[in-house]
Amino acid sequence: MLALTSCSSSTSAESITVAGSTTCLPIAEQAAELFKEETGTGVLVSGLGSSAGIEAVSAGTAEIATSSRGLNAEEQKLGLTTIPVAHDGIAVIVNTANPVQNLSIEQLRGIYSGKIANWSEVGGEDLPIQLVNRDEASGTREAFKSIVMDGEPFDRRAAVLSGTGQVRDVVSRSRGAIGYISMGFVESAYAETEVRALNVNHVEPQEKTIASGGYPISRDLYFFTKGEPTGAAAEYIAYVLSDEMDDQIREAGFIPVSDNAEGEGDGRR
Amino acid sequence: MADAKSPETALAENTGARKRDLALVSRSTYLREKGLQYLFFVCAFLAVVTVLLIFAFTMMQAAPVFTDIGLANFFSFTWAPTEGRYGIMSLAAGTALVTVGALVIGVPLGVGTAVYLTEIASARVRALISPAVDLLAGIPSIIYGFFGMVIIRPFVADLTGGLGFGALTAWFVLAIMIVPTITTLTIDALNSIPMGIREASFAMGATKWQTIYKVVLPAAKFGIVDAVVLGMGRAIGETMAVLMVVGNAPVIPESISSPVSTLTSQIALDMSYSSGLHRTALFGMGVVLFIVSASLVGFVRLLSKMRKG
Repeated sequence: MLALTSCSSSTSAESITVAGSTTCLPIAEQAAELFKEETGTGVLVSGLGSSAGIEAVSAGTAEIATSSRGLNAEEQKLGLTTIPVAHDGIAVIVNTANPVQNLSIEQLRGIYSGKIANWSEVGGEDLPIQLVNRDEASGTREAFKSIVMDGEPFDRRAAVLSGTGQVRDVVSRSRGAIGYISMGFVESAYAETEVRALNVNHVEPQEKTIASGGYPISRDLYFFTKGEPTGAAAEYIAYVLSDEMDDQIREAGFIPVSDNAEGEGDGRR
Repeated sequence: MADAKSPETALAENTGARKRDLALVSRSTYLREKGLQYLFFVCAFLAVVTVLLIFAFTMMQAAPVFTDIGLANFFSFTWAPTEGRYGIMSLAAGTALVTVGALVIGVPLGVGTAVYLTEIASARVRALISPAVDLLAGIPSIIYGFFGMVIIRPFVADLTGGLGFGALTAWFVLAIMIVPTITTLTIDALNSIPMGIREASFAMGATKWQTIYKVVLPAAKFGIVDAVVLGMGRAIGETMAVLMVVGNAPVIPESISSPVSTLTSQIALDMSYSSGLHRTALFGMGVVLFIVSASLVGFVRLLSKMRKG
C-alpha cells in the first residue's frame, strides 16, 4: 500500500493519506478500496487514534483525519472543516423478562457506578442488578464512559466481558443483567436468544432517533480536513458520503449520515 | 537447576564405562554413538536455557515495577491501570480463592479416582476409566472454558441468582481440569507401595476400607502431597478456562458467586492493549506467578528427597 501510494504520487495520479480513529477504520478502508477501483487514486488509511489523526491533519502530514469524537476547544482553533460521516448508537440492553422500559442517563450512571444496585430503585422488580461491562480495550466502553458516566468511575465489581456477542448472550440469559452494545447487534439473525434495548431518557434507540441526535447515547464519526477539502480528498469524502457507501457503513454497524435527509429510517433489514 | 545436574553427573559416570565398550566397535559407530549422546544432551540443556531465558526476559520487562510503580503500589489492592493504580493483591486473592476451592473439590475427586483404580476396580472397569482420565488431561483448556461458560455458568446462575460468573464456576471447571494430574500421580504413588504391606494388613483381619485409609494412603502420603501440589500448580497457572468464567472484575472477592479476576486471566485480558507501566505491571504479575510455581516445584523436589532420605 505504501509503495503504491509513493509510486502514484510521483505520477499524475494523486494519493491521499487518511489517519485517525480506529473505530472509523472499517468505513475508511472499505471506501478506500472501492474508491481506488473506481478512480485509480490510492488512499493510505491508518488508525492511530482520533487525537493523532487531528494532529496529523493540522501538521499537514495527512489530508483527512478520521475521528470518533468532535473537536475540543483547543482543536477548534486549528481551522479544520468538520464533516460528519456516520452515526454510532450504543443500546442499553436487558433481559426480555425485565419489565423496566426506560432509564434516564442519571439512572444509568447510578447503575454503572454501583450506586443503584436493585431494579426496584428504577421502577422494576425487587431483583439485584447484575452489571455487565466491557473490557478497557473496547471503543464502545470508551464512548459509553464519556457519554454516560460524566467522570464517575465504573463500578469495579461488574463482570468484564471481552466481546459484544458475549455481553449480548449473558444478558439474554440472566434476568437481572444489564449491558450495553453497539445498536446494530441488538437484533441478531445468528443469535438464538433475545435481548431488549431500553429507552434512554424516553427515547427509543432507532436509526431515526440516532440520526436525529434524539437518542442520547450516540456519537458521530467525523472526517476533518484543513480548510475546505480539495482535489482527490474532496472526491474521496464525497464517495464516503455517497449512496454507494451507505450499505457498507451499515454493514460495519454504523448509520450513514444521509439518513438525516430521509423521512423513515427503514434501512435496517 | 538441581535436576539438570543429576543426569549430567550420571552421564559423566557412564562415559568411562561406555568408552571401553565402544572401543570394540568400528570408528563410524563410535562417532554416531558419541554424536547422539551430545544431541540428547543439547535437548535436555535446551529446557534449562529456555527457563532461564524466559525468567530473565520477564524479569527485565518487569524491572520498572521496583522503580516506576513502586512496591507499595504493586502490592496494594486496587487494580485500575487507567488511574495509575497497579495493585495486584485483589487479583492474587482471586487466584487464591479460585485455587483453594478447586483443590477442595478436585483433590478428593482425584485421589478417590486413583484409589478406586488401583485398589478396588476390576481390570475391565480400569480399562474403561483409565483412558477416560488420560483423555481429560488431553482436552485443550479453551474447551473446558467453553464448557464452563455454556454449561456450568447458567447452572451456577440459577443456583445463586447472579450472572454465574465467579469463583464457584471456576471451581467446578478447574476441579475437573486438575483431576487427571492428581489421579495419575496418585496412582504412581499407590502402585509404588509393595503388595506385601497390603497383604500384611489383610492378614491382620483388616477390611479393604481399613487397609486403604489406615495402611495404603498413609504409606503413600508423600506421593499424594506431590500430586496435590502439582495439581495446585495447574490450577494457579490456568488462564483461558478461568478467563471465560470468572467475570474478570479486579476486586477483592465478595462472595463465591460474584465476578472476580485472577493474575493469569488479567494478564491475558490486558496484554492485547496495554502499554507502558500497565504492561510492566503485567510482566510483574508474570514474575510473581513464576516465583510461586518455582516454589511449588521446589517444594515437590524437597518432598521427594525427604521420601528417599
